[in-house]
Amino acid sequence: MRIGKTLLCGAAAVALGMSGALAGEYVDWLDDGRVVLKLGPNYDNATIETTREELGGLFGPDEKPFEGATITVLTLDSGPKGGISGPITAFRPVWEELSGGKLDIALVPITDLYAKMMLDLRQGTGLYDSIIVGAFFYGDLIAGNYIVPIDDYMASGDFPQWTYDSMPPSLKNLHTWKGVGYGVLNDADGQVLYYRRDALTNPEHQAAFKAEYGYDLPVPPATWQQLLDISRYFAGKNWDANDPDPDHGTVLHLKVGEQGHYHFQSLSAPFAITPGDKVDQFHNVYWFDPTNMKPLINSPGHVAALEFLQELHKTGPAAQVGWSLGEAWDYFLRGKSVFVFSWGDVGSLCQDTSRSKIQGNCAAAILPSSDKYWNHETQAWVETDSPQKVGNTTGGSWHGVISAFSQNPEATYSFLSLMAIKPVSIWNANNGWTGVDPGFYYQFLEPQGEATLDDYVKAGWNADDVKDYLQAYYENFTAPTMLTYLRIEGAPEYWDIMDKNLSAAMAGQKTAQQALDDTAKTWEEITERLGRDKILQQYQDAIGYQP
Amino acid sequence: MIRWTSRVKFLFLLPAVLWVLTFTIFPLGYSIYLSFHNVERQVVVSGREQVPVLDAAGNPVLRPDGKPRTRTEVQRELQTTFTWNQFANYARAFRDEQVWNAVRVTGTFVLVGVTTQILLGLALAWLFNRNIVARGFLRSIMILPIFATPIAIGYLFFTIFYEVGGPLSWTGVPWLSNPNWALTSVIIVDIWQWTPFCFLVFLAALQGIPDEMLESARLDTSSEWDLWRYVILPMLLPVIAIVLLLRLAEALKLFDIVATLTKGGPGIATQSYTYYAFNVGFKLNDFGYASAMAFLLLIVVMVIVTLFFRRLRQSYE
Repeated sequence: MRIGKTLLCGAAAVALGMSGALAGEYVDWLDDGRVVLKLGPNYDNATIETTREELGGLFGPDEKPFEGATITVLTLDSGPKGGISGPITAFRPVWEELSGGKLDIALVPITDLYAKMMLDLRQGTGLYDSIIVGAFFYGDLIAGNYIVPIDDYMASGDFPQWTYDSMPPSLKNLHTWKGVGYGVLNDADGQVLYYRRDALTNPEHQAAFKAEYGYDLPVPPATWQQLLDISRYFAGKNWDANDPDPDHGTVLHLKVGEQGHYHFQSLSAPFAITPGDKVDQFHNVYWFDPTNMKPLINSPGHVAALEFLQELHKTGPAAQVGWSLGEAWDYFLRGKSVFVFSWGDVGSLCQDTSRSKIQGNCAAAILPSSDKYWNHETQAWVETDSPQKVGNTTGGSWHGVISAFSQNPEATYSFLSLMAIKPVSIWNANNGWTGVDPGFYYQFLEPQGEATLDDYVKAGWNADDVKDYLQAYYENFTAPTMLTYLRIEGAPEYWDIMDKNLSAAMAGQKTAQQALDDTAKTWEEITERLGRDKILQQYQDAIGYQP
Repeated sequence: MIRWTSRVKFLFLLPAVLWVLTFTIFPLGYSIYLSFHNVERQVVVSGREQVPVLDAAGNPVLRPDGKPRTRTEVQRELQTTFTWNQFANYARAFRDEQVWNAVRVTGTFVLVGVTTQILLGLALAWLFNRNIVARGFLRSIMILPIFATPIAIGYLFFTIFYEVGGPLSWTGVPWLSNPNWALTSVIIVDIWQWTPFCFLVFLAALQGIPDEMLESARLDTSSEWDLWRYVILPMLLPVIAIVLLLRLAEALKLFDIVATLTKGGPGIATQSYTYYAFNVGFKLNDFGYASAMAFLLLIVVMVIVTLFFRRLRQSYE
């Protein structure tokens, strides 16, 4: 038996030598400089090709640069084949083979992630070397010096190679602070509009819509006002053949304590932002007046947007006030609503035929604009015939940062940067279950990016769906006007009270004005408690305001 | 032979004392301290240097180009500042609209939920104290909800109350999307789980009433209501009081059903006091304010319990 094993190993070594490769269980080093990363049977034996150069100077066939080191990554828990935690689990053995180190993954529900992270950082326990954060954690992370800059690691050439230049400025802003890099590329979040292509392009519906509303049914709708008309038109009709029941217009995920408030952020941006060339006191601001931290959240633009959202809610199932992402997404995927506006996950879930009945009819577009917006300078409404689209980076854009308490920052960075190299990032975006949504230039189709339609079709995407999807995200992340992101200390607390008041408004407990006035009042209290000057400085830094 | 001195006795007591000090007294004291302070924490980098990477034998690890491999060693210090804020956290609680809402929600829950549980428990105990078909089997079925985990029950009822295609969707009731109905739903779940507990205790108490006493009473009255009012109920009163106290203490801590079923919503329509305090502490990291809220609840509960026992004692005296 011993002889047999030796012979077998010898034969394998000869075979490898002949093919000019050094094969490991998860990494093949080819003589021509290519390196193949293998994810193993749990991930359908997927392989990703990279190069020695792209992997940086540390990793090599005879190198185990972090042998003996153990790093722990804290991330939201969606399981080993779920969003965000899935790809980390998938690439764990690859990194362990490359580095000689050990990777522990600490999983917590998304709603507990911030608390777990802050508990560790505030106590200085150092349980976690890296945390996969939402960009709204940055205010707290920067204020406490809890994370370390990564620019030196990136410049060293030792680690897997990626660059912030792959990101549109809107996303780069979320990973950096005052020009210093902290976050490692992974996910790109933003909300876009998904709509039923078959329903909106149906000639019968188009004719009926025109007869009812007096104008051609726009595909896709350019303004929220048009979207509301279309939503109202389809609500209550059985326009989808998947079941005999009446269907709805727009489905929303509005459950308090979850992601309901993001709907409001994305929708209200074109109502509440005064477009301009740069960020100043009145232009391109959404949350606070950047000169004094007075809340803008109850401006007439915000209030009108919330009143609009209340109207839009009526075209969906009433139960959605208590719905999380999953319920709302499934409703759209089952063909029960004509619109949903949400994250990139919906686009990829549309392609999963075990869950979706709408593959091939799942069109996408940048979120509509508004035919009127509030001018913060003149304190008056502006009605416009050429509404300007407002992009958003709503969500977390979940990505890794390195804890200031990590005993192994280099090993930690080597793992995070391995996940950030182009071929891995493209693979993640192609495979919807990873929860890693597209947003980096090379993930977009030519000519805006480097990806080809074939790449996505091979990964199971419908060609029409993916063309719309990537175009929508490209337009969203590169829009001339962007919804600024709230990255200040205590951001989760500011959002928490906003979320509760929005939910109360959507459930009919408060009027839009009352809900947003209450929010503004509490925001003032929070700002006073945390220190107005300190928070003002953070806010100005975060949005790039120059006094 | 060991001499049973007082010192040895203390040694035996030591583990228990240490346990109580570590896990009860210290956290209690620390949370009182926190409730009177603002806490600021910041990491300060005091030094940064490149140090050689060593292998298991302690020799420097070399790079392929022959140079020693290095790693960054950063000296960091976590600086914590506690600032005495007098009674600011307590005063904040009295100004906080969410606290008052949480008091209202918890009060409604306790009042409606516990009262219904006791009345229903009594009625069921009365029913099961008679000869009915399959009494033993039904009694076993009746008490099953007590053993279920509240978190699991929350998720179970989330599917039962699901308004689109759920088992109760035919009713057309907005179980979770309407603020009033959402609180009703939370109360229904609690009643479902804890009525059996009341029933079980009351049944045991009923069965403990001597038959001779009931038979003697029946010689004086033929009215079942009079029998209950003048004989059975007075004898059950101590048991009812204990059940009421236990349920009151438990209901005031309402957390798990809210966390799984409604997350306090819509809006803050079902946000109980403990759920809010938990969120303030563990989600928003405001431990000082959360501690103050917890102590305010403790004071209220202590007052209720003290008054309750005083009243109970008076009724016996």
